[in-house]
Amino acid sequence: MTRTKSGPRSLADDLRARTDEELAELLRIRPDLVVPVPVDIAQLASRAATRASAIRALDRLDRFTLSVVDALVMLPDPTSPKAVRELLDAPKGAVNAALSTLRERALTWGSPQTIHLVRVVAEIIGPHPAGLGPPAHQLFLGLPPARLATIVADLGLAVSGDHATNAETAAAHLGSNETLEPLLEDVGADALSALQALAEGPPTGRVEDARREVDREGARTPIDRLLATGLLVPVDHTSVVLPREVGLHLRGGVLNASAGVTSMEPATTARDPGMVDRAAAASAFDVVTKVETLLDTWSLQPPPVLRAGGLAVRDFRRLPGLLDTDEPGAALIAELAYISGLVALSSGDDETWTPTPEYDAWLRESVADRWIVLARAWIETSRTAGLVGTRDDRDKLVPPLGGEIDRPLTPEIRRIVLDVLAGLPPGTAVDPEGAVEAVRWRRPRRGGRLRDDVVRWTLREAEILGVTGRGALGAQMRSLLDDDPEAARSLLADLLPEPLDHLLLQADLTAVVPGPLQSDLARELNLLSEVESRGGASVHRFTENSIRRALDAGRTADDIHGFLSSVSRTPVPQPLTYLVDDVARRHGLLRVGAASSFIRSDDQAVLTEILAAPQASALGLRRLAPTVLISTLDGVTVLERLRRMGFAPTPENADGSVVIARAEPKRTFGRPVPRPTLADRPVPTAAVLNAAVRALRAGDRSSSVRPADVVPGNLGRSASTQTLTDLRRALEDGTTIWIGYVDHHGSTSERVVDPVSLEGGWLAAFDHRSSEIRSFAVHRISGVATVDA
Amino acid sequence: MDLAAVGRTMADVNDGPLIVQSDKTLLLEVDHDQAEACRRAIAPFAELERAPEHVHTYRLTPLGLWNARAAGHDAEQVVDTLMTYSRYPVPHAMLVDVAETMARYGRLRLETHPVHGLVLHSSDRPVLEEVLRSKRVKPLVGNRVDEDTVLVHASERGNLKQALVKLGWPAEDLAGYVDGEAHAIDLDEDGWTLRPYQREAAEGFWHGGSGVVVLPCGAGKTLVGAAAMARAQSTTLILVTNTVAARQWRDELIKRTSLTEDEIGEYSGSKKEIRPVTIATYQVMTTRRKGAYSHLEVFEARDWGLVVYDEVHLLPAPIFRMTANLQARRRLGLTATLVREDGREDDVFTLIGPKRYDAPWKEIENQGYIAPADCVEVRVTLSEGERLTYATAEADERYRLASSTEVKTRVVEQLVKRHAGDPTLIIGQYIDQLDELGERLGVPVVKGETPVRERQRLFDAFRTGEISTLVVSKVANFSIDLPEASIAVQVSGTFGSRQEEAQRLGRILRPKADGRTARFYSVVARDTIDQEYAQHRQRFLAEQGYSYHIADAEDILYGEGIP
Repeated sequence: MTRTKSGPRSLADDLRARTDEELAELLRIRPDLVVPVPVDIAQLASRAATRASAIRALDRLDRFTLSVVDALVMLPDPTSPKAVRELLDAPKGAVNAALSTLRERALTWGSPQTIHLVRVVAEIIGPHPAGLGPPAHQLFLGLPPARLATIVADLGLAVSGDHATNAETAAAHLGSNETLEPLLEDVGADALSALQALAEGPPTGRVEDARREVDREGARTPIDRLLATGLLVPVDHTSVVLPREVGLHLRGGVLNASAGVTSMEPATTARDPGMVDRAAAASAFDVVTKVETLLDTWSLQPPPVLRAGGLAVRDFRRLPGLLDTDEPGAALIAELAYISGLVALSSGDDETWTPTPEYDAWLRESVADRWIVLARAWIETSRTAGLVGTRDDRDKLVPPLGGEIDRPLTPEIRRIVLDVLAGLPPGTAVDPEGAVEAVRWRRPRRGGRLRDDVVRWTLREAEILGVTGRGALGAQMRSLLDDDPEAARSLLADLLPEPLDHLLLQADLTAVVPGPLQSDLARELNLLSEVESRGGASVHRFTENSIRRALDAGRTADDIHGFLSSVSRTPVPQPLTYLVDDVARRHGLLRVGAASSFIRSDDQAVLTEILAAPQASALGLRRLAPTVLISTLDGVTVLERLRRMGFAPTPENADGSVVIARAEPKRTFGRPVPRPTLADRPVPTAAVLNAAVRALRAGDRSSSVRPADVVPGNLGRSASTQTLTDLRRALEDGTTIWIGYVDHHGSTSERVVDPVSLEGGWLAAFDHRSSEIRSFAVHRISGVATVDA
Repeated sequence: MDLAAVGRTMADVNDGPLIVQSDKTLLLEVDHDQAEACRRAIAPFAELERAPEHVHTYRLTPLGLWNARAAGHDAEQVVDTLMTYSRYPVPHAMLVDVAETMARYGRLRLETHPVHGLVLHSSDRPVLEEVLRSKRVKPLVGNRVDEDTVLVHASERGNLKQALVKLGWPAEDLAGYVDGEAHAIDLDEDGWTLRPYQREAAEGFWHGGSGVVVLPCGAGKTLVGAAAMARAQSTTLILVTNTVAARQWRDELIKRTSLTEDEIGEYSGSKKEIRPVTIATYQVMTTRRKGAYSHLEVFEARDWGLVVYDEVHLLPAPIFRMTANLQARRRLGLTATLVREDGREDDVFTLIGPKRYDAPWKEIENQGYIAPADCVEVRVTLSEGERLTYATAEADERYRLASSTEVKTRVVEQLVKRHAGDPTLIIGQYIDQLDELGERLGVPVVKGETPVRERQRLFDAFRTGEISTLVVSKVANFSIDLPEASIAVQVSGTFGSRQEEAQRLGRILRPKADGRTARFYSVVARDTIDQEYAQHRQRFLAEQGYSYHIADAEDILYGEGIP
């Protein structure tokens, strides 16, 4: 080892030598190191070197930095930047930048010229860094000595009696270009192309009978020749691996020729930034309106929460129509409302998705502010709306608002996508697949297919949300990403159309709002009419039903006329006025109410008399017509009371005929006699009485009888068969036992009980503490011990 | 096309007259300064759906976009127009959709092959494969000529085009038209000239080759036909709804063109003449003898260079089928209201041709070519007895009961009295009701059983002012030219038919000599199905900008209310 005297001797040493700023930076980049705060640097170093933490750090490296890691794994430890550079054939600047990134993250340590890789990193990367096989020396050592000797001989080298020496000799032969090249030229085209394929990685291939005995002379197939010369080395009976030296040579001595130093720039399209901002603002307005539409609908009819959480498919399917969007769009709107805290589970027995008080506060904000609430929640959320509508592992449709769509990866990837967009000049739209590629380069180890999907979803959602317009980031979003909501608000507010305070009423019973309507007016209009078309403007149609709905909601015809004439700039068309009056005239013409019984009489005076009687108030009477009274009490009671008041009423049945009231003895069909259930009604058998007596005594000695090996809360958890055996024996022997019992709140208690019966997974036993027979679920009994009386 | 490039050229228009909705409707604010320019710009590709007083609604449909392509407009123009006039950013998805829809047109072409005759040729092989796999298309085509071309049975040209439109791959028809047998026809513009819109309509039709012209009732559609004939200079077959209409066409043609009486034949129930210009009725064409349509042969009787369909919205199904075989001949459809209650508007477009000209009623009215009209809905209340009968009546009897209430008769009486001296038509559905009205008012009734000669006589008398009031059944719905009628009273109709309402209004829309406003009364029984139907019936006219004033019968009976 060539270690300079001044260099650190360990990661801890290195960290200790770092400045406070450097340490702070390390903790910022790897926040998992701070939870909990390590007691000293040594502990920090050892935590940084744990597998879990190192994986987390590696996952956040880009493709080039990871290939530097690969190089470090392959190079002897410690190594120098120069060696890394040569192995990667990469420019100095890029390599140095990557190296300092690694050091910053405490994945390497040492001085600038002697770089140590934290050991666990090599373990994480595994045996095939950069898709290359293990070193030849290591592989040869693993071969049977005789096999290796044949290879050494076949390579035309001096065979030694020592296995290790043979391995070194053969490995050195493959490790040198001068000797390797002629060997490769000799193997033939077929064999060479097989090697080429393995050289690209992964380096292992499947071969029948890999451990066969071959020599160069008797080689019949290309694979035979490769095995004979050690260019492929068997690792087990069916697989072979390409030694690292050979693979590297076939790659031209460079670790990863295809890995670029920087990410490929995604294909972009330049658009007019002004237009982009306007388009984004239009979408922003749209999404705010849609959230409002959704929650206004749910305010009146909150959809039930599925037992597993989330929104039922049936309720979800209604949303695209309601919101004039597709299913992914609808899922996003619902999720936005949820993550912004505008809708939540209702309290109460029947859980529903109900708007929250925050929603009312949100409604009072300006459109721009409302959008900022949504956009910010979206930037940060780990809920992945794109998963809604896909199928989960059990082939069930994933519902929106459910618990299954939380993915920690999502906010990270989303932020990267937004950063990629923000890194482009204003008005630049990015090609989605290019963006996928760019993000893949930045986080090759993170997420796999989900990562790629999240990139696509993010772009799609950004467009719906008005974060982007025509694929390019809007200026308002740039401000928001720069954490300047004030600027975002004013940019957006300038772009949004001013909400209107008027609409156009037309004689064909439609109303056109040529822009967004002030939200209180919009609400009233939505009550009064059906929406026919939405978008920049909205078209509404007044129908009998819609007017009736408004009347049902408590509006009067005058209210409606007043509203219409106040918001219309032109006189209200006469057909509309008539429509309102017509519906209002018929509204409430029929009344429906509930009554439990009625009293009718052709003699109106009698009914008046009843009403006037002092006892009448107790009958809950109301006069519907001169000859009819109704009561909130049932017929039998009313009959009874009227008789007591001195009237002579007769009951009437459903078809209006008088019921002859003659008391007949009533009978019912025979039914099985209810059997006593043990738990409900204890049968005081001798055993129980016996137990009761013992229980009286047990109260006194409860602390002393505890078996020696049993302490409260620690009754050993026996296997359930053991539990059953113990219980059965105690039942047969009539002994008193201790049981540990976990109740349905999860708390454990010990009871002294006398078993009475054991069946169907339930133990009925006399509980000494409560002095009654209780049922215990056997699966909740955590342990049994005998009490030696 | 690159939509982005178009986007960049967009000026900072933030106050255009047009609002583009995501459901593909276009809202045009008519009071806007640029409204007229915008209307002209979007007319080629967007269908006018509604034209009430403030905001007109247009709709983008695949058919409309394809017609625009056929007329030489490309997606870029359409997108550019939308972005130029739009007040708010146009939803991007819609622009993409427009481009994609328009790109579907013309992948398939109907051509005349020098050797094989009519063929379907494709520039996009997968599309050809796709359509040939369709069950609908298979029987209409013959063998493959080469990989991109397939034979088409000449008689199936129309059916094939229709099927391809349904599949979403409309064919560009380059096979051309037969010239037909030449016959000199000239407009005889003596003391009158074609109105600008009539000329535009005829030109639009001629350049498009075939198609439908939509003009309000009373706007002179016959002259558009005559102008088209003058362009065609060939023998012409004219299909009209009934004999009276046929005679009117004949008279008009004699008066307005160089044609003489001998050159015009009538092919109807009573006469079977085939002349260079032949006017046939739908009725005779669809008459069956021994289960066969024996008169359809009139289509083959001559080498017609032009076929004119009057009131094309009434085109009966057998003629539909026949028309599919006539694709090589130029076809002109004329109508006032292309609303078919059977929803077959699209068939009209594919078989006759796309809409070539369409003018909102109110626009023609503003130009003074049709009379302004006031529409009044008079609401009568059923008497107690009638209400009870109505309440307990069978569903299929209710409309009849409600619409022939006795109160209506009294109201009509009042109305006629009020407009005494003005030429008045009373129009209804139920013959007993009409007979009763005729008796009460002492005026003649024209109904289905009235002989043609008698009808003609009564109409003539009405035209000359000899009689001022006529009671007519639905025979007079169409094509009866009674220029002087200025008052119409509708007492009942064919349920909720929108086009019937429009046609009836059309009876009184001929401009009056003194520029008087026509008045259309619709007498409706309140709170009954009659009122529901009335609302539906009025929809088309309301969408054309006619607003109904509602009056209570009581006001009329006691001489108050409407001015």
